Amino acid sequence: MSRTSRNFVLAYIFLVGLPLIGLAGVLRSGRHLAAPVSVDGTWKVEAVSSGKTSTCAAVSTFLSAPVVISQSGRNLVVTFGNGRSAVPGALEDNSVKTSIPVDGDSGTQCGQAILTSVVDPKSSPRVMSGQLAFLGCPSCAPFAFHAVRQPKTQGGGGH
Amino acid sequence: MPNLFTLTLQLAVVLAICRVVGELFRRIHQPKVVGEMFAGIMLGPSLLGWIAPHASAYLFPTSSLGFLNALSQVGVVVFMFLVGLNINPGELKKESHAAVLTSHVSITAPFVLAAFLALYLYPRLSDDSVAFTSFALFMGSAMSITAFPVLARILAERDMLGSRLGTVAIACAAVDDVTGWCILAYIVVLIRSAHSATSIWWTVAGILVFGLAMIHGVRRLLRGFARVYEKKGALSENLMALMLLLVLASSLLTEYLGIHLLFGAFLMGAIMPKDHHFVRYVLDRFETITVTLLLPLFFAFTGLRTNIGLVKGPQMWMYCALIIFVATAGKLGGSTLASWLSGMPLREAAGLGTLMNTRGLMELVILNIGLDIGVISPALFSMMVIMALFTTFMTTPVLRLIYGKEMDEIAASKIIAKPAAAALNQSYVA
Repeated sequence: MSRTSRNFVLAYIFLVGLPLIGLAGVLRSGRHLAAPVSVDGTWKVEAVSSGKTSTCAAVSTFLSAPVVISQSGRNLVVTFGNGRSAVPGALEDNSVKTSIPVDGDSGTQCGQAILTSVVDPKSSPRVMSGQLAFLGCPSCAPFAFHAVRQPKTQGGGGH
Repeated sequence: MPNLFTLTLQLAVVLAICRVVGELFRRIHQPKVVGEMFAGIMLGPSLLGWIAPHASAYLFPTSSLGFLNALSQVGVVVFMFLVGLNINPGELKKESHAAVLTSHVSITAPFVLAAFLALYLYPRLSDDSVAFTSFALFMGSAMSITAFPVLARILAERDMLGSRLGTVAIACAAVDDVTGWCILAYIVVLIRSAHSATSIWWTVAGILVFGLAMIHGVRRLLRGFARVYEKKGALSENLMALMLLLVLASSLLTEYLGIHLLFGAFLMGAIMPKDHHFVRYVLDRFETITVTLLLPLFFAFTGLRTNIGLVKGPQMWMYCALIIFVATAGKLGGSTLASWLSGMPLREAAGLGTLMNTRGLMELVILNIGLDIGVISPALFSMMVIMALFTTFMTTPVLRLIYGKEMDEIAASKIIAKPAAAALNQSYVA
């Protein structure tokens, strides 16, 4: 074997072979990593009957169309009312938290609603339950809801 | 039914903006395609949607995006066929030790570094619906790709296609693209099979049978096209339609087999006859409409999916910077080191590394597949698009920094025939 060929083989082993072994190690160790629970997708929201009825306009907007969540790790973009309102949200452990600006009914001065819900990571299809609480709006009672994630139309993971 | 007024308005706006921005970029010595990619981002939520949300909602209503996407995908299918058409397996066999080592290192270095980066990004930018293996492999293939068409375009514009540097760069980029697409095909199969009732082994067996049939069977039949061209100097409209039909059939088959439409189009191009004049003739027939109309739609659609607003806060920008750093260190650093160790002078090796770091349009194609199959999140998609723009944009100024006026001397040291380089020079896709 000539010196050039020997150098080529050595360089190949060092620059291609060893990194590939490293890659195998990375793929192996990465299997133990935990990523945030997936909440990405379209959620069908239903009211949980509690005997009380909310008069806030935000509730009807909230229930009028599925809620769409776009997820990037723990950062969320939550879209309500067929795209009329898209707000940033966050995922803390298994809890989705976001704040929605609302226009209250006449006579009320609702500034915003706080959405808090807990995702059941073991459920299939994935479900979450939580409530909308209205800030600065004594006439609007907190509203409890239950949501089920709709199956995706295209194969693949989340997002 | 699509709203024809909206669709036509979209076509007109996209075409106009892409031409104007492409021309502006050309004036600052950037390939036109970089400007068009940038124009696409401008039309999306990152700029138009941010400064004029009502105009954006009027021009690109959500209900219309499906049609825009369908049209742009047709463009990408034809584009991938043309990319495959330009790859000549015969040329790859002639590679020297330097090109073999450089091309393989230019894949493994960014791939492995990206996998290491995935260890950090997976818990931060992904979720539990995506397996780490899929995430890491996707990041690896997205970072190891080289934009073969943009690279050739840059070389052609600098008159460097025939230089030793240009020849090695083209060979390495071709190897990178073929390898990158094979890895991506594997990832798509892996992810889709996890959500499908069909066993992964049936899918793999189907793909193998399809690949073998294409390479050993269909390839021979395709020689008929070249024979007719050789005899008559042209192909009839019926034959051109047949060629397009074969591209579509191959695309449909790969989609049916569980990979992606684009793999079929790419493979059909790769097994087409490689006679230079025949390739040039086919390119001329398909290029104009694809490049002037359909690809800008793809840039616009990609721009509409790219929301730089999602890259919010110092932490997210730090992730983005890290992605750019790892992509550049892996590709530029790895290729430079390998070619230098193979005996290439350092300056020329750095030039090769810079060229290999060009990702451009091919990166956007891969990223869109990743977003479609859900392996990357919207924020990561936006960061990777920024990385693609950055690494493509930096190529020309860095090359000029490395070579200065000597770029002209490199062009003078051509080792392939001038007519071949001149022919490639005319081509956008080549």
